[in-house]
Parts: sequence; structure tokens; C-alpha cells
Amino acid sequence: MADTNTKKILVIDDSTLERELLIEILKGSGIKNEFLQARSGEQAIEILGRNYKDVCIILLDWQMPEMSGLEFMEGVVKVPAVAKIPIVMVTASGSDDNKRQAKQVNPALAGYVVKPYEPEVLVDAIKPYLK
Amino acid sequence: MFFAGSVNKDLDQFGQMLNRSVERMFLERNEIRFSKDPDMEKRLIIEYGGLMRADGLEKYNESSFISYINYYLNAKDMEKNKAIGAIVVYIEQTYVATLLKLLKYPLADDEDLDALADCCGTLCNIIAGAFKTEISKAGYIELEMSHFTSYRNRAVVGVPFCFNEREKIESTFFIQNQKRLIVETTMGIVPKR
Repeated sequence: MADTNTKKILVIDDSTLERELLIEILKGSGIKNEFLQARSGEQAIEILGRNYKDVCIILLDWQMPEMSGLEFMEGVVKVPAVAKIPIVMVTASGSDDNKRQAKQVNPALAGYVVKPYEPEVLVDAIKPYLK
Repeated sequence: MFFAGSVNKDLDQFGQMLNRSVERMFLERNEIRFSKDPDMEKRLIIEYGGLMRADGLEKYNESSFISYINYYLNAKDMEKNKAIGAIVVYIEQTYVATLLKLLKYPLADDEDLDALADCCGTLCNIIAGAFKTEISKAGYIELEMSHFTSYRNRAVVGVPFCFNEREKIESTFFIQNQKRLIVETTMGIVPKR
């Protein structure tokens, strides 16, 4: 059961299976935060609009229909109220160029995890940002 | 219906890179070794309405799921959906959930067709990402990559591809000597850095 004193983790990925895997891993590692889920950047913006004060970290896929992860991040960094929420990219695009590109869009990018990942890599990437 | 135009001389090389990406991913993820080296065959692209035909019933004797991802030379081409290449993943319907479970994903409900389509797309996505990284490491320019699109049995509207190409590579991967994963690769000319 989620701890009502903790903030929420927003998971953005068009793959239901990837979202399930990620949440299963984090819950299995003992993380008690509640999860919010979005299958596109657009849906994530709607969710953030209602919940941004309660979100402590965003886990963001890159390739998604309609609005990509990068486009989502470009929008988010321009809005001071949400720009301070740490973002960890969780994506299959793992080249050095892609990592640089993501960092250019969001210099405060909190992490970059390449799919398929080992559970401890994901947990280590997000634990410092949990509230 | 007709066969599309000329041939990328690096196509074999791209096929080899795709195979290496898949083999490495399965090995690293769960120490899965395929029964043998993948069968690799060149096939003609069958073009229909400007798109490449992708039909799972030509690959397996039973229902299957198909997912594809496109590559683009740059963001502008991606906006215009002017693809330079594609990979198409085919998995038998009865093996989709098992294959993803082998890769340590949660077990999907094998009676839920939407969940199986999502599984196939998820696998296509991680293969496409690993392949893209391999292409970049080989000295080619960084490609843009689309999200996945999935179908059951047949890609109804076809798969966007580089219209100058007339051939694709079909790679077949075997687990316990059974044909378990087929990936088609088509790629136009990608500049080196």
C-alpha cells in the first residue's frame, strides 16, 4: 500500500509492459511511493497539470506517439513550477549522441537509463530523488 | 503492386549489425543463447501504395504479431515521415508472452490481444534501440527512431520504407531449435559521420 506521506512517481511510456515492469521493479525494491502513469507526453502534461505539486520524479520514455519524450521535456523545462521536478529518461535509445541531446534539452536531467536495464540500475538512478 | 527500386550496398552490413544487437541483448538480459546463428536471407520488398508489405502469415503457419519501427536521417524527415529504414519484428501469437518472459518482463495475459500487441511492440522497441546504437558505433550518423506500431497477422496499411530500396534482410532466430523470432531490416543509404 502506498504511503500517504510520500510524493508520487510519474511514469511515462507508451508500452504498458514497460510501465508494469518498471513499477514492479520499484515496488519490489521496497519503494512505497504511489505511481501515476501516462502513455504519451500529452497525457503526461494533463496529469502533471493536476498533480505537479505531488510528483517527486518523472520517469520518461523517448519514442512515443503524438508527443515524444524529448518534446515533453522541452515543454516542461520552460515551466518553472514543473521544471524543478527531476526527470530520468528510461529509453531504448542509448547512444552517446542521444544522451548529449537529452542533456542539451534539459541540463538538469537527473539520469539516463537504457532499456533493457538491470533493476538495480533503475533503482539507483531514482532513489536519490524520492520524497 | 510492384517491386521497389535500387539496392543499398551496405544492406548486408546492416543485417549483420541487427543480428549482433539481438544476440547481445538476449545474452546480456538473461544469458539466452540462440540454438544456432540466425538464418539471414535477402528478400525483395513488395511495395503497395508506397508502403512495404508485412504479412505474418508468410512467416509462420499460425497467427502472429507484427511490430515495426522506422528510422529517419534527421528530425525534419521524421516530421514528414520520410523514412530511411525500418525493422519489422514477427512473433508467433502463442510465443509472444513466453518470449518477453524470457527477457524478464512481467508475464502478459496470452488471451489479451492488446497486451500481446504491446509485448511485441515492446520487444521491437528494445531491438530497434540496440540496433540504432550499433549503427552509431559503426560510424554512421545518428538516426532518429519512431515509436512502435503493432498489428496482428498483417500490417494493414503497410510499413513506410526508403523508396529507393528494393531488398530487405530477413533474420530468423531459433530458440531450442524452433523458429521463434523473425526480424526484417530495410535501410537506405546512411551517411558516415
